[in-house]
Amino acid sequence: MRELRDLSPDASARGAAAGNGVLAPLPETYYDRPLLKKPHWEWEVITYLFLGGIMGGSGLLVAITDEKKDPELSRNLRYVTFALASTCPLILVKHLGRPERFLHMLRIFKWRSAMSMGVWGLIAFSAPVTAGAIGQAARDGLIPRWLRWLHPRPLTDPLTAVLGAFIGSYTGVLLSATALPLWGIGKRHIPMFSACSGIAGACAANSLILALTGGSEESIEKLERFETFAALAELALLRDFRRHAGSIGDPMFAGARGAKLTRHTEIGGIILPAVFSVLPIHGRWKTVVSSVLTLIGGYVLRETLIEAGKNSADDPRAASRQPE
Amino acid sequence: MASGFFTDTTLCIGCKACEVACKQWNELPADGYAFTGDSYDNTGALGGTTWRHVAFIESTPDAPGAPPTMNRWVMMSDVCKHCTNAGCMEACPTGAIIRNEFDDVFIQPDVCNGCGYCVPSCPFGVVDLIDHQVIQPRFASDGRTDDNAVQTHGGVAGKCTLCYDRQKVGLVPACAKACPTDSIQFGDVDELKDRARKRVADLQSRGVDASLYGVDEKTSVGDLNAFFLLTGPPAAYNLPERPVLPSTRQPAGYVSAALAVTGLALIGLALFRRESA
Repeated sequence: MRELRDLSPDASARGAAAGNGVLAPLPETYYDRPLLKKPHWEWEVITYLFLGGIMGGSGLLVAITDEKKDPELSRNLRYVTFALASTCPLILVKHLGRPERFLHMLRIFKWRSAMSMGVWGLIAFSAPVTAGAIGQAARDGLIPRWLRWLHPRPLTDPLTAVLGAFIGSYTGVLLSATALPLWGIGKRHIPMFSACSGIAGACAANSLILALTGGSEESIEKLERFETFAALAELALLRDFRRHAGSIGDPMFAGARGAKLTRHTEIGGIILPAVFSVLPIHGRWKTVVSSVLTLIGGYVLRETLIEAGKNSADDPRAASRQPE
Repeated sequence: MASGFFTDTTLCIGCKACEVACKQWNELPADGYAFTGDSYDNTGALGGTTWRHVAFIESTPDAPGAPPTMNRWVMMSDVCKHCTNAGCMEACPTGAIIRNEFDDVFIQPDVCNGCGYCVPSCPFGVVDLIDHQVIQPRFASDGRTDDNAVQTHGGVAGKCTLCYDRQKVGLVPACAKACPTDSIQFGDVDELKDRARKRVADLQSRGVDASLYGVDEKTSVGDLNAFFLLTGPPAAYNLPERPVLPSTRQPAGYVSAALAVTGLALIGLALFRRESA
């Protein structure tokens, strides 16, 4: 077979056959087209991430708070956790399009799939949570009193807390275990700030309900102080994530979406409620306003995270060298 | 025996016979009419109902004053990589995505529940959701057509099956069968790798800047059962320079979350239990 160097010594000498720069180099990207596919997740998943965080946080609070000192708060937490544990699976089932296909999730238990772990975690979580709600309802006289034996507190409360902590944070792990650059680079930050935001949201949701139903000032105040700790941790983690992600974080932190995140989550949802909590203002309306602000901030955080993650799939440069 | 594809881009002439053969055999619907202006590529990308995609990289004229270069027009037929460690398969919560007896990654459409987690979990952007009815009749395990299959929301995940049904009866996958230049070669992966390494050595000795993509690269996705011979950086072909198996990030995530929650829980215990004692 004759080769280029035999056919055209000139071209060979110029390097055409050696490929050292005479061939036109290939472009850096493929017409800047997206390299990755984005999930089709819409409001159902955003709402689940938001409510799931509150649900997990409330579960954690069940064990953290002291039922003897604060029976009212405990009652509130048990009912809220139960209500959310009944609602959240419905939202997940809805997003599957055909509800009966949720059962397919139950044919397998898979350590390596955060979604499989989440489904089983949710089911496991609902057991002690339901027991807690039954026990509470029995003690409240809503159902026959003997049913309180279905609620062995030393067993179910720690389980509620551990599984609640899992439910509140696995969604962050689930997101970072995808190829989308923004989520991938947040493998440590996203699970952490999601968990913190869930706990802050749980404090806000429960203090809101207590404020509206005439709960004790002391319970509300404690919830608000704990909320401040969780929310400030969330803020620090969000700020550190922004620094860590660099330009990969642009879909989340730059432009109109970044401004919305700063406005609704960082300022409205974290800083303002924290300021309110140290100001010498008292009264139920302060709690209502600050809780609603925190909850809006939590929803906007989830919405931003999902939508920005989808946008980050469109950047082929970020998708080419994927974060470890 | 692991079966797979060796796609040699230096032999591709951009005829799209593979795209057509794949659509025909797998009864995949047309993608509609769209003009992209990106050379001859109006297909755009792999998708739920597009399991072969021919990429066209057409170099533009040299800038005025720049040293002259030889124009290039490079084609590559892209396909699901059938990774050794597949991101879609790790993510799937139903077990719908399996590794079949040919060592290829296969989505069982009657098991898939359309959760969509595999879609962003593929490091190559291959898998996408499709309407349920498209492939249900062919692959339903009990062979019946389900009325519920006529359902447009959500659907199921779809991607190249490496012509599982054809392989079952000893036929070559449709794309490889139709390829007129043997740019797409089907066979035992180890044999294909040997052939590919020889081909690279041969091309390099003739001065072509050839390299293999998806073989011996020591990435977390492992070797690809459908690998490629390229003559440029992978990103030019819309392949990731460094693919990562996304599920490997989970341990770090769980540990970080546990630390954050434990820290806050301790603060909470101090706050709710000790103070008012």
